[in-house]
This record gives sequence, structure tokens and C-alpha cells, in this order.
Amino acid sequence: MFSVKQTKPTFKCYLPPVQTDVKKTIEPPIKKLEPKLIQGEIVVNEVNFVRKCISAESSQDDLWGKLICTNFKVSFIPQDAPSKQKSQLSHLLLGEHDIPLTCLEQVVTANDTKGKKKVLGSNQKLKFNPTELILYCKDLRIIRFCFDEAGPESAKKVCLAIAHYSHPADLQLLFGFEYQGRRYHASKEEHVNGSTPRGGLRTTIFDRPSDWDREIKRTGASEWRVCSINESYVISLSLPEYIVVPVSLADQDLKQYSIFFTDQRIPLWCWNHPNGSALVRMASINDPLQQRKIYQKVFTAITKSHPQRSEVVRCDLDKSLPNIQDIQSAFVKVRQICVIDPFEESEERWLSSIENSRWLEYVRAFLKHSADIVYYLDGKNASVILQEEEDRDLNCVVSSLVQLMLDPHYRSLIGFQSLVQKEWVMAGHRFLDRCNHLKKNEKEESPLFLLFLDCVWQMMNQYPAAFEFTEAYLTVLSDSMWIPLFSTFLFNSSQQRAQHLMDFAKIKAIPQGEEQTVYFPPVWDWSQQFSTKDQTLFNNPMYVGKGAACVQNGEVKTFRRTKKNYSSTLRGMHGSLRNGLKIGEDSLTRRGSLASELKPEFSPVKDESPSERFFRDWFSRAADQQGLLIPLLLPSHMALWKLYFLRWVPEACIPKGGPITAYHKLSQLVDEIEILQSQLRQYKGPSGTMPLPNPSRPLSGQRRMYFKATSPTPTDFLTSSFPFTPTGNLCRRSFQGTPISKFLNGAKIWLSTETLANDSL
Amino acid sequence: MEHLRTPKVENVRFLDRSSGQRKATIGTLYLSATHTIFVENNPESRKETWVLHSMVSSVERPPTIPAGSQLILRCKDFRVFQILIPQERDCLDVHTSLVRLSRPEKYSELYCLSFNPNVNKLEREESWNFIDIMADYKRMGVPNNLWVATAANSEYRVCDTYPSELFVPKTATPAIIVGSSRFRSRGRFPALSYFHQDTLAAVCRCSQPLSGFSGRCQEDEMMLQMLMKSNPGSDYIYVVDTRPKLNAMANRAAGKGYENEDHYTNIKLQFIGIENIHVMRSSQQKMIDVGEMRSPSMTDFLYGLENSGWLKHIKAILDAGLFIARAVADEGVSVLVHCSDGWDRTAQACSVASILLDPYYRTIKGLMVLIEKDWVCFGHKFSHRYAHLDGDPKEVSPVIDQFLECVWQLSEQFPCAFEFNERFIIAIHTHVYSSQYGTFLGNCQKERRDMRLRERSHSVWPQLWKDRAEYTNPLYKAELSQSQGVLRPNTTPYCFKMWKGLYNHTEKSTPPRQSPADFLSAVREESQQLEEELTNHQERIAALTGKPITWEKIEVPRRRTSHLRQTHSGPDPPTTYTDTITSPAQDNGHTLSSKPANQKTPTQDLSLTLPLRPHTQLKSPNPDDHSTRSNLESGMADLSSCSSSRRDNGKDPNLDEAVFITA
Repeated sequence: MFSVKQTKPTFKCYLPPVQTDVKKTIEPPIKKLEPKLIQGEIVVNEVNFVRKCISAESSQDDLWGKLICTNFKVSFIPQDAPSKQKSQLSHLLLGEHDIPLTCLEQVVTANDTKGKKKVLGSNQKLKFNPTELILYCKDLRIIRFCFDEAGPESAKKVCLAIAHYSHPADLQLLFGFEYQGRRYHASKEEHVNGSTPRGGLRTTIFDRPSDWDREIKRTGASEWRVCSINESYVISLSLPEYIVVPVSLADQDLKQYSIFFTDQRIPLWCWNHPNGSALVRMASINDPLQQRKIYQKVFTAITKSHPQRSEVVRCDLDKSLPNIQDIQSAFVKVRQICVIDPFEESEERWLSSIENSRWLEYVRAFLKHSADIVYYLDGKNASVILQEEEDRDLNCVVSSLVQLMLDPHYRSLIGFQSLVQKEWVMAGHRFLDRCNHLKKNEKEESPLFLLFLDCVWQMMNQYPAAFEFTEAYLTVLSDSMWIPLFSTFLFNSSQQRAQHLMDFAKIKAIPQGEEQTVYFPPVWDWSQQFSTKDQTLFNNPMYVGKGAACVQNGEVKTFRRTKKNYSSTLRGMHGSLRNGLKIGEDSLTRRGSLASELKPEFSPVKDESPSERFFRDWFSRAADQQGLLIPLLLPSHMALWKLYFLRWVPEACIPKGGPITAYHKLSQLVDEIEILQSQLRQYKGPSGTMPLPNPSRPLSGQRRMYFKATSPTPTDFLTSSFPFTPTGNLCRRSFQGTPISKFLNGAKIWLSTETLANDSL
Repeated sequence: MEHLRTPKVENVRFLDRSSGQRKATIGTLYLSATHTIFVENNPESRKETWVLHSMVSSVERPPTIPAGSQLILRCKDFRVFQILIPQERDCLDVHTSLVRLSRPEKYSELYCLSFNPNVNKLEREESWNFIDIMADYKRMGVPNNLWVATAANSEYRVCDTYPSELFVPKTATPAIIVGSSRFRSRGRFPALSYFHQDTLAAVCRCSQPLSGFSGRCQEDEMMLQMLMKSNPGSDYIYVVDTRPKLNAMANRAAGKGYENEDHYTNIKLQFIGIENIHVMRSSQQKMIDVGEMRSPSMTDFLYGLENSGWLKHIKAILDAGLFIARAVADEGVSVLVHCSDGWDRTAQACSVASILLDPYYRTIKGLMVLIEKDWVCFGHKFSHRYAHLDGDPKEVSPVIDQFLECVWQLSEQFPCAFEFNERFIIAIHTHVYSSQYGTFLGNCQKERRDMRLRERSHSVWPQLWKDRAEYTNPLYKAELSQSQGVLRPNTTPYCFKMWKGLYNHTEKSTPPRQSPADFLSAVREESQQLEEELTNHQERIAALTGKPITWEKIEVPRRRTSHLRQTHSGPDPPTTYTDTITSPAQDNGHTLSSKPANQKTPTQDLSLTLPLRPHTQLKSPNPDDHSTRSNLESGMADLSSCSSSRRDNGKDPNLDEAVFITA
């Protein structure tokens, strides 16, 4: 609170230097703690002399400051400007101690002296003066404030305000609407000519026929067409306005069929394999009498769109995958283990607790199912229909994973964002309900998108060079779900988005015909949140991109990795994969016996199924980072996504270690290469003997890597949590005394008594 | 040879189950004095698999099935082979022979005494001097005015399981050493293991005191006092008893036990709780079982792993090392480490602490030195623990496995801090068990001297050093801050994982896509091949056009990151490999390896005879790394640019153009 820094004398002083205790009294008045507000943000309530807890054990590192509730966020402004932590991603709209109101999971107040505790909702009363406020956040942070020195009434008011404002009654009350309206007009004034079309976005949004047309062309789906029967959402409220359907199906037929599908969701084309097989998703058919007929018509149409008239495989995902409640409860458990439970307790039985949550099991189940579908599309040349009751949850996960495995385009940053846009946002994943932004219905809440990101992370973990983006990107993307400023994660369907944004445009006097992506931008414009430099943390230095293919197909195709070296060693994944990938078999069995160990009989000559052979063949070849990618699926291949789940946990943090150190080293190398390349290009420039790949690229221009080769940064700030920091972001309430389980744990009794004995000496 | 009942069986079905192979291959099984060799019938590949007898830990004979009789060979490096022999008679013969051959009764039957890697006598003698322990003590700054060498144990008079050259506090007279050793289990008195120059604190090791319930020994108390005094920076020492306190107390009834803090002045006793060798043995078995499950569910795997307790034991050892390292580096307090006999847990704790404290031990050479010092010299019972001879199965335990795993776990937490990679650690593991070299034979220095191993066998270290390019971690950079100073690992259970590379052989088939480091190595290899290609083309162009090559010839760096060679080919590739398969000669270096026979000459030549660049060049940001990336990223154009970038520094600019034009 009190700065020990010597104040610099501003005039010559003839008196002896002031004593330190005197200085304290004449210290300049406590500087005014002003929150950093963004456009349209207003302060609702505030309280001074609040202590933010940094560690559960002692209060010596705690920060003193002011707690503020605005209509956008909970903000804490410390008295002493803390030493600027270099180890953090700095958000352009949120400060280090800020939490958006939509990110709050639970607001808990407590009074320790009275032994009272209350979870606050909207419009509630609080009968005691809180001494403590604990904020459980959706991004897994737990933030604790103490009011021991604060005015009890204003503390209470702030708590109630936070609780109230984090439970908006209506979608339009989410702060994004206020903010984007103001921002739009402010930016209009700045440059009269309006912004670049689509706000300069390179990510395909899939809200216009041309976006779909391009996708059809890109994947060579010549027997498919863009259909606009759902324009103005006349057929289905949850489908996008433009969808892709088999050429052989007329609009009239589609209209006719639509009534039989749940929510009128007629089959939706997702993607085409170069071999002609298509990936299609659809909802279930309500009328059992019509089922057969409709299936047949749809199947025939899809078969006709296949160049080889290949069969169609229908996969019912509801039958083989966990439902959204299962996923939610798994997530709640894994969160409990990772961040909420006292660390000593979760430590004792870490692996079995993780198992108990079943989260990894579900991650594996989704990857496995997606791999099965890859086999149909790639190995059997068959078109696949993913079917789910509503076609808005599991289908999103599986269809996007399948495309990620099959199509390297989606492993680039732009491609990945387009994929999310296509299979989640446009396909009508209920982000509003699943995120529970309005905190109205907890039954609908389910972290499907996070599950998908976790699956992507597992693949990234296995194929570190195949993705253009990093795990930091995935984590930041997941955090963006809880910032209500972007249109991507706010709505249940594109119809809902269109409706709300139209109303919004009217209210905010935004001229008609203005692009939605301009006045209410999606999350994909990362410059809204991060500086260009910070965005480079999204770039994977190992990503080889298309260049690798160039080497392979070009003259220099001499790398004998595939032929000589790997083939013999690689042969061998099949044994495991037979089990890892067998379709439909024991996908979710639990507590299976260990009897499946070495069986006495000589079993290897058993016939292998075609799918087993497909996977075996694939794994016996070297993985082409720019081709088909199939994840390894043995339980030992599944890992907990530590950066996401444990980034705030101080106990799990490895100072100066973790995968980030390898990332650091690789980034520097890549940066050095890029500098050398550009130097070389400049140097070659005038001679003109070679066509230059990218002649205009300036040397001093943007660098792709976060860590620069030329200015070797000290790496001491790197931790396994980088670019996040556990400091102050996870403060569980400390327990009175040591949990008894600790003492009862076998030989540890001796250890503990011994330590106690030593202490008393 | 007298134990060979049958040298050859035909029409055998053979399955390498640990590699995940599913279809058995048909071929011929040969038994030699040293190896079991399986040769595929398939005329195209004629793949050979060599299994050294001493690597076989068990031979099971499950019930006969209609197709024939089976054998299951389990190896000490966790590989499992299944063999199906049509005739029961043959199977019985093979079984009997293998059971006998895999359990040698005398040292003279061991492979290392017959193995001859084609070097002359001088080279062999040199090989034993490759690792110089005294030089390492000198590197730590010992002897100095605090620590001196003692001659007390020359000729192993005081303690027969200790090395003859030891360091003790300067004030410790022979009388005190002898007195102290009488009060210590097996005479293993406190001696210096590691001296930390920055804080002047030391890590010392010994065995448990023979204190019983009330026994004491003046010399021993003085010895500990001297240990404390030899560190001017602190007025107490830690005595780390690595056992659980319960075990230590139980030992008191047998007249052993632990130091009584009332009798010793200024010691702080700390128990760590590493379990004994029997617990570790069964824990490892449970974990191997988890790895062998054929279709485990997530539950099977996670529960199995947790119930094996293996990771908990690894954590205990790392905790012990961390406690010692912190005491020495942060508090500047010397530590005396012991367990019961001071050759298992003590070796683990001391060596882990040294790795944490001293970056040198995180280099390839350094790890060799460390193992030689804390394990080989200080009398870790290699032959008993790793069952080199048929003996008491209760003496067998994966003690060094655990140390190596600690190193691996550390390298996972600090990917840039170690000069070596996983393959190096696994190679050491294999050699510890294989007894192909004499390094790990016997139970102490004296035994090795009596066996005259230096004359009769070879040291493994020069061989590993020769292959160091294969064992180098491309992410390592000596000057990086992570590679320096004290390592402070996180030892919460979150940070431990199953070592798939060692225990789950199925995983071995996929190293290239698993870690960034492997990827970097692969890319490096690729770029190197491309460069070679380029040179060839340039030469050919020059030859065809008849133009003299005006530019200086591009030097192709011959650094092989040849993990691309068989990743798990047993202890050692053969140095001479000219014999035909049907007469497996004694000087054949295979322990366990498999490769296509028809390719043997070229592949071996490539990987073994190329001159290696000194590894020091790896440290600087070196042009290879750049070229790797550029090649991949923009193909041919950059290929030429990278070769020119190598000669960037002030060379004739025309050279680059020449390259371009011709390329």
C-alpha cells in the first residue's frame, strides 16, 4: 500500500531529510483509482479498501484496491500499480484483474464471523454484511475479495450489483449490444468511407450463397448446389438461410420433406471428399411412418451426387455418444477436481479422480467416432449422414472433427475459423443456451464447444506440426465465449442472430444494408482483443503448411523417411488400433476387467476387418501433415489439456518449464530463418535471375513469431501456464486444519508425526 | 553351446507383440549361443529379429493348441515375443534351451565376455578410461581445503563395496573413517558424492547406522560433525533417510536404524518415504500389465496406472532429489543421504539431486559420468538387481529404471534443459540389462577388478558417445537459461505421466509425430538429405556441361540424427556385420534388433561410418536449423538459399548466384 520508493525532491531543501515515519503522513493522497472503461460502459457501484486474495495460506501478497461493478465487468483496481508482468497476454478490452459479467459462473458471498454463506442470484436480498466475495468464473478462475477494511454497506451493494448484472433478463441487455452500437458510430466518424468490406475479415462466414459456392468448388462437390429455400428462414428457424443440397433434389421436394424433420432441418451438406463422398448432417425424422420413405429419398439423392454412386452410411450419434447432460456433468467434475477441490485432496488420487469425471473418456469417444466416419468417407468411398435428434450438438462436434482429420485446409487458422463458422455458428449450435449466458436454464448448459476444442488439442498434441495455430489460440478462443462483445457465441441460430441484429440496427440507427460483420463483428477479428504482437502467439512455429507438399511433389522428393526408415518400425499400430477404433464396440464400457491381457491362445491370425486394415495401413505409413490425419486412440494417448484446465492452478505450474519452452526455442529458430530468408531476398533482388517468392516483404515488417531471434528475451518469466498466470487467479478458500485423509494415508502418518516432532524441537 | 538342444526350427510363426504386430510372420528360428534369431521366409524382406539371451526375462509355455506349441518370450526391455512351433518336440527343446541360456549361472557365460566389437587391445583399454571420475571431482573443485581424497579404502580394506578412491572432510582421519565404518551397515561410511561450488555445501552418502535402540559411536558422531564443519556456511546438516520412517524404525530391532538426533549435534533428520525394492518390483510389474492390456478402456488404463503406484514411487524419488537439491542450493546446507545399505535409494536420491543441481549432468557425457560415479563406483548391485546371473529373484528390482525414469520425467517438464533425448535414456536402460558390455557387470568395483573386466570386456560409454548424434536433443542449447542453474521441477501428480516410450512398446512405432524434438530431428534429417541431393546435382550439372565448378564445393555436414534407423534396436548395432545369418558368429553385436537382411550393408554403412561433427557445434544457432525450416517451407528456392546462407559471412557474393543459376 505504501510505496517505499524515495520521492525525488523537487526543490532544494535546507532542512534535514524527512524521517520515514513523517514521510508516511505527508505521502501524497491516495491516488484516485479510476476504472478503464470502454465505450458505453458505466460504473454501477464501487467499494474502496478491498483486499484481493492472492494466496490461500497467507495474506502478505494480497492486493488492496477498489472493487468496481460496471455494466460490462467486475473490475479491481489495485492501489499500487503492480510491476508489469511480462508473462501475460494483455487483453485490449479487459485489465489484468477484470472479469466480464458473462464470465461469472457463481457469485458467492460469505460472512466468516457469522458463519454465513450465500450464492447470489438476480434481484436478491442479503441479510448479512459480507466479509468476503468469491467469484467462480466460467474460464475456471476463482477470485476472492475480502471486505475486512471496506465499508460494509457499500461492499454489500457491490456484491448485489455484481449478482444482479451478471443475470441479464434479456439477450439485448448483454453489454455487447451497447458497446458495438457506440463503437460503430464512433468508428464511422473516424473514417467516413466506412470500413473495408466485411471488416477486413478473411474468415468465411457462410452467410451468403457465394461463400457456399466457393466451398463447393474448393472441395469439388460438383453434384451439389446452393439452395435458398430457407431464405428469410421460411422453412426452418434453426437452419442457415443458404444451404447446400444434392443437385437431384428440387426445392419443391425439399420443402415437402422438411415437415418430417425435427425443426424442419432437412439434410445439410458439410463437406466433400476428393473421391466424391459427401459428409451430410441431418436431424431425425419425427413421423415413424414416413421414416422409411424419406430416408430412401434422401439416400437416393445423395447416392446420385456421388460420382461412383456409392452407398450412403447413416450414423446415429445419439445412440453411440454421450448426451449433453453427460458431457456437462463430466465437465463439472473435472473442474471440481482441477480448480475447486483443495489441492491436497485432489493430489492423493489424481488419476482416478480424472477417470471418475469421465471427461477424457468422452473426448476419446468423440475422436474415435469421428475416426470411424473418416474410414467410411476415405476408406470405403461412402457418403456419410450424421444423424442426431436435433442436429445441433453432437453433430457439430463430429462433423467438424471429421473435416479436421480429412482436410488440411481446416488446420490452418483461417480454415479452422471457417469450420467453426460453418459447422457451429451457421449450423445452429445453441451457443446462447449451451453457454447459459442469461443464466436462465442450467439444464441446457453444456460445454460442447470446449469438448470440441479439447479434441482438437488432443490431435494437436499428437501431430504438433499439422496445425497452424497453437494451444494458446484454442484457450483464448474458449475464453472469448465469455466476453459478450462478439456475435459468434451469443445466439442460438443464425435466425436469432439476424433478428436481434436487425432490431439492434434499428435501435442504434445503423443504416440498412450495412453488413452485420461490420456493425457487430464476430470474434474472428482478433485485433479487437489483442495487439498484433500478442496475436503472434497463435502461430505454430512447426506448422509446415503447403510448403512441405511442395518438397514432396517436386523434384527433391528424395526424403527416404517414408520408404526406408519408417515403414519397418511403423508397422505395428494395428494391434492397438484394432481395439482403439473398432466401430461400435465397447465405446463406453466402464470398469472392464483386466482380463483382456495376454490371452493364452495364439490369436494373431484372426481375420482383420476392413476398417482395421484401413487404420493399420494408414498408421504404417508416415503421417503426411498435409493429408489425412487420424488420432491415436489408446487410453495412454489421451492427456488432460493442462493449459486449459490447470493454467490457474499454482500447484501445477512449472516455473521455467513446460511445453512453452520448446515453443520458445522453435519460435526463435523460425524467426531467425525468416530474417535470413528476407535478407537473402533483398540481397538477391537486383540480380533478377530468380523469380522472387515474396519480393515486397519488408524486413522490418510484421514478424510471424512471438519470440524473436534477434533480441533474446530472458526466458525466466516462462511458466507452464504461459501466457496466463495463476497469480491471483485461483484462490480457493483455505480449510481449517489439515484434512484427516492426509494423516490416515499409510506410512505418511510417520512422516507427519516426525515432521511435527522436528518442528517442536 | 552345450545347452543348445536344437539350433534351428523351421516353419515357425513369430509375433512381436510389443510392437503391436498383429499378423504372425512365418520363418525359421535359429538358436545360437548368444541370440535367438528369427528370419522371415518372405524372400523380399527376409527380416531378422535378434533377441539376446540375457535380455530374456522369462520363457512361458502356454498350453498347446491344434496349430502347434507356443512360447512367450518376455524381455527385460518389456518386449514380448510370441512363437508358435509346429512340433511339440521342437518346442520343448527350444524351451529348455532358452530357459537355460537366458539364466546364465556364471559370469563366464555372459555375452560381454565373448563379445568382441572388433577393436584392438589399446582401444579397449582406452574405452575404459573414457569416463574419468576423478576428473569429475576436479570439475566440482575437489579436492580443496575442505575435502580431500582418502587412501583409507585402498585395496577395499575398509569397505569392500565402495570404490578405492573416496573424498572425505579434510579433518577426517583414517581412525575416524574406520570407526565410523564399523558403525555403518556393510561398512559404508559417509563419503562425498557431490560438492556444490556455489554454496560450498555437499551431498554425502552412507548406509544406515548400526544404532539399534540405543547404540552410539563416537567416531561416527565426529564424522558427521566434520561433515558439518566442512561447510563453513551452515551450522547443521540434514540427514536424509530415504526410507519410510516405519521401515527405518523396524530396522532398529535388528540393531540398525537411523541416527538419534540426541546423540548427534546439529543434525536434522528427514525421512522421505521411498519404498523398498520389493514394493518397487511388484509395482513395476503392475504397470507393465497395464501397458500390455490389449483393449484397455480409459478406466482400465487410469485405474491400472494409479493402482500400480508406480508414478507415486517416481514422485517420491524426485521429491527426495528435490529436497536435497534445495537444501544444498537454496539453504546452503550439506546433506548426508542414506537408506538401508546405501546402494539403492541412496544412489537414486543422490543422482537425482546432482541432475537438478548441476547442468553438466544434463549433458550426454555428464549423465554417463553421473551413472559411473553414483551407481557403478559406489557399488550399486547391478548384477543382482538386473538378474545378470540366475540368482535370488528377490534381489531383482528396477532401481536404475526409476532413476532413468526420473530423468525422463524431468526432460518432459524441461524440454530444452537436457542435451540428450529419450532414446539415450532407453539405450542406457537396455545396456544395464543386456550385459553386452562389462560396464554394468558385477556388484561393486572390487568384484569388477577381481573379474578383470577391463581386460576381458569393453566399456559401453565410448560406444554410446560415438552414436551421440542419434541421442542429441535438438532443442537443447547450453547457454539457454533453462539449461543452466538449478532445475526446480514440479512434483505434484499432475506432472507425472506414464513413460510410453519405455513401457508401451506399441508407442515406439510412432516417435516421429510425437514430440516437437523428434519432429525437428526428422526435419533436420530431411534437409540434410536434400542438401546432399543438391550437391550431387550440382556436381552432375558441372560434369554434364563440362563447366568447371567455379564455386567452392559446398560442404555437406554429416550429422546424422539417425533415429530413423531402427528406433529400438537393442543395446548396440553391430560394428561388424558381415557374417551370414546361418552362422551367427560370436562377435555379432546384436542383442535385439530387426531389419531387412538385404539392406544391411548400405544402412549400416550410412549410419555408422560417417564422420560425426563434434557435438559442440550443435549448440550455436547453426545453419542446419535454418535450412531445415526453409526447405520445408518454400521448397526448392529456399533450398538453394539455405546452402548459400551457410557461406553468407563475407564470401564472394557471386557464389550464391552461381548456385542459383546451376540449381
